[in-house]
Amino acid sequence: MSNKKKISKKDIAKLLGQWSQQFAVFVPSRESGVAEMAKWDGKDTSFLDWYRNTVIPPKASFLPPMEEMFSFQKDKEGYHIQLPPSNEHKQLIFGIRPCDAKALAILDMTFEEAYEDPYYLSKRKSTVLVGLGCTKPCESCFCTSLGISPTESADVDLMLTDIGDHFLIEEVTDKGKELIAKSSGLKEASKDDEARAKEAKETSHNKVTRKINAEGIEDKLLVCFDDEDYWEKTAAKCISCGICTLLCPTCYCFDISDELIKQQGTRFRSWDSCAFPLYTKMPMENPRLEKWRRVRQKVCHKYEFYPMTFDVIACTGCGRCIRLCPVNWDIAQVLENVPVKI
Amino acid sequence: MEQKLRQEAKALLEQGKVDWIIGFEPGSFKFSTTPLITKDKNDADRLVINPFIVNNLASFLTEIKGRVGIVAKGCDSRSIVSLIQDNKVVREDVVILGVPCPGIIDLAKVERLAGKDRDELDDITREEDKVIIKFDGEKKEFSTTQALFDNCLACELPTPQEYDILLGEPRPPAPNLEVSGEDIEKLKGLVPGQRWEFWQNELSRCIRCYACRNVCPACYCQRCFVEETEPQWALPVPRWQDNLIFQIVRNIHMAGRCTDCGECERVCPVNIPLRSLTREMYDIVDELFHFKAGMDKEALPLMTHYEQEEAEDLFR
Amino acid sequence: MKQQSEWEPKLVGFLCKWCSYAGADLAGTSRKKYPANIRIIKVPCSGRVDPLFILKALRLGFDGVLVSGCHPGECHYQTGNYRARRRVAITKKFLEYMGIEPQRIQASWVSASEGGKFAEVVAEVTKGLKEIGPNQLFSERQGDGTKATARG
Repeated sequence: MSNKKKISKKDIAKLLGQWSQQFAVFVPSRESGVAEMAKWDGKDTSFLDWYRNTVIPPKASFLPPMEEMFSFQKDKEGYHIQLPPSNEHKQLIFGIRPCDAKALAILDMTFEEAYEDPYYLSKRKSTVLVGLGCTKPCESCFCTSLGISPTESADVDLMLTDIGDHFLIEEVTDKGKELIAKSSGLKEASKDDEARAKEAKETSHNKVTRKINAEGIEDKLLVCFDDEDYWEKTAAKCISCGICTLLCPTCYCFDISDELIKQQGTRFRSWDSCAFPLYTKMPMENPRLEKWRRVRQKVCHKYEFYPMTFDVIACTGCGRCIRLCPVNWDIAQVLENVPVKI
Repeated sequence: MEQKLRQEAKALLEQGKVDWIIGFEPGSFKFSTTPLITKDKNDADRLVINPFIVNNLASFLTEIKGRVGIVAKGCDSRSIVSLIQDNKVVREDVVILGVPCPGIIDLAKVERLAGKDRDELDDITREEDKVIIKFDGEKKEFSTTQALFDNCLACELPTPQEYDILLGEPRPPAPNLEVSGEDIEKLKGLVPGQRWEFWQNELSRCIRCYACRNVCPACYCQRCFVEETEPQWALPVPRWQDNLIFQIVRNIHMAGRCTDCGECERVCPVNIPLRSLTREMYDIVDELFHFKAGMDKEALPLMTHYEQEEAEDLFR
Repeated sequence: MKQQSEWEPKLVGFLCKWCSYAGADLAGTSRKKYPANIRIIKVPCSGRVDPLFILKALRLGFDGVLVSGCHPGECHYQTGNYRARRRVAITKKFLEYMGIEPQRIQASWVSASEGGKFAEVVAEVTKGLKEIGPNQLFSERQGDGTKATARG
């Protein structure tokens, strides 16, 4: 049994200041023009007023939209490669939501189990995640249907719950425990505080109104995979942009490009999307030339293939794809309407 | 208008005059609509007309095969005419269900006015020149100038000129170019170096989702220049340099075909002020060649036409 | 930082094969002097020039771009230069709005017999470029290495 601590919302800046001594601290920010995790400026905590979730998912801290893999020179003897300097500095992401934290655990299955991605892993292993439970789930959220709680997470190091003027702090991992042990300005949480936290969590849970029936979805999709009519209807209004996939916290596809200018070159890795028509283009053919095949691929990857391989649905119900889609294509509606042939 | 629309759409499908109906149906959020693309006459009962029918449905005409009955606001009808000018769409294959449009409510503006997110609002209604927002038991009134999309404020054709069935009373244009042009005026007030820096900053956020290009009815190339690798004009990497080249060249390619429908700016997930680019190109084309896209079905496309004497002051 | 006197602007010229390129040839055979800053690319017609060429040239670091073709009415392909006229006109005005110095994109009509005019045009354009300095438009910005966002 650990004694839980709490921190006053007024003291958050002080706590972040302490943590800034050891970590590069990232908090939700709108300074760049879009809501994303950005380096804390040292004083502003106004995000506590407006923050529901970021537009750019936290995967961007580990798999950035664009990353330099290495640079190279070309001369008579061949290519000489320089790896980028390894960044030894540690990161702390403050305010990550349980759905996004779970998404990182899902990404780990690809970047750690399926193969070991040094770029992703070096950042992942040197980052501390401080979770913040939701108090105002969005209309688009459906995390609870996927077994994910808006207020609790096993995938963060510390979990904060809003109990009015304070946040209750729960230690989830040893990393989190260590961090709290070294932090000052925290108070002891009373039984009352813990009860309030329990109530707050239940309230948030009930505010998630959008539901999907994920029961047996893997098998339903397997059955209707070849139903071209259904998929054509489903895909009709999609415009094949990349918003749903690029901003999805569990999507991980990337493209690799080389740029060589006068014997000096760089190899980049950048976000790619299976929604793009050219994604599967090969010299002889393009197996997903038709839009309905790409839409089917996206749905089945998340709800059929990933579960088949890793036993988990590659979706955390964060709702970004629904909220930001230019034509309001809604995965929840699509899953509801999957025709189940008996 | 809605009733008439549903009847007409159903009739068109029943009588076999069209293969598809493209319109709007209620979306999966409050205050949202979503495109309805259907061959089934029973779906016609889901069609709606309300202050939130924001999409430009003309962009679907270049991918759908067959004859289409399409719901078109004034700006959408201009896009359809522009596609007809380009010979991309055959006039006889389209039945235009014209909707005289009083302007569409910009939810982003409403959120700023109310200081709340859209799912925290109880109701948004439109009354002639007022937009009324209800939240937390309060009722706040705003003028349409504050709550409609900027391109709606600049609208030159609320009622389609080219249509087969007009679904309501025609509305005369009443553009408010001062308010809708504020952002561009501000940019023009900066010195060139500052302007370039502004665009560098804005395009740093771009993640190359291509939503701006894909919603645009004018962008119908099978293979976009940005997907070329031989030669490679811009890397698929979202560096601001490549992002800027993408936007600049896209705008130049669209010159004379962009109708300022504003969709590109609306759909951008990272809030890049794209209309400050597209509207400027729209104005340049008007200033240099007295041409507005989609106004005259018989007019030749801008970039394939020429006059004997024009723009000579730009050449040595 | 190079001194103004050391730096020579790099100008690329898209010259149409039938008129301007021949005009440039004539300038050479007539021994007319003009600055060596220009690198010439022959295109079949000024109408071949896509705004992409202009942007790519600026992206690669050229300080200026010159597009030159036959006089209106004299195009070998009848109407190519009329297309070029509209295209270059909107490109110039749009890029000026974006914040690119207007002196960087120049256009001219030079016929095959106008060797003298070609030399003059190149001299004037080069002078204009020397006045506005090197093209820093697409260089890495200050502080690009210390981005504040998590995207890095």
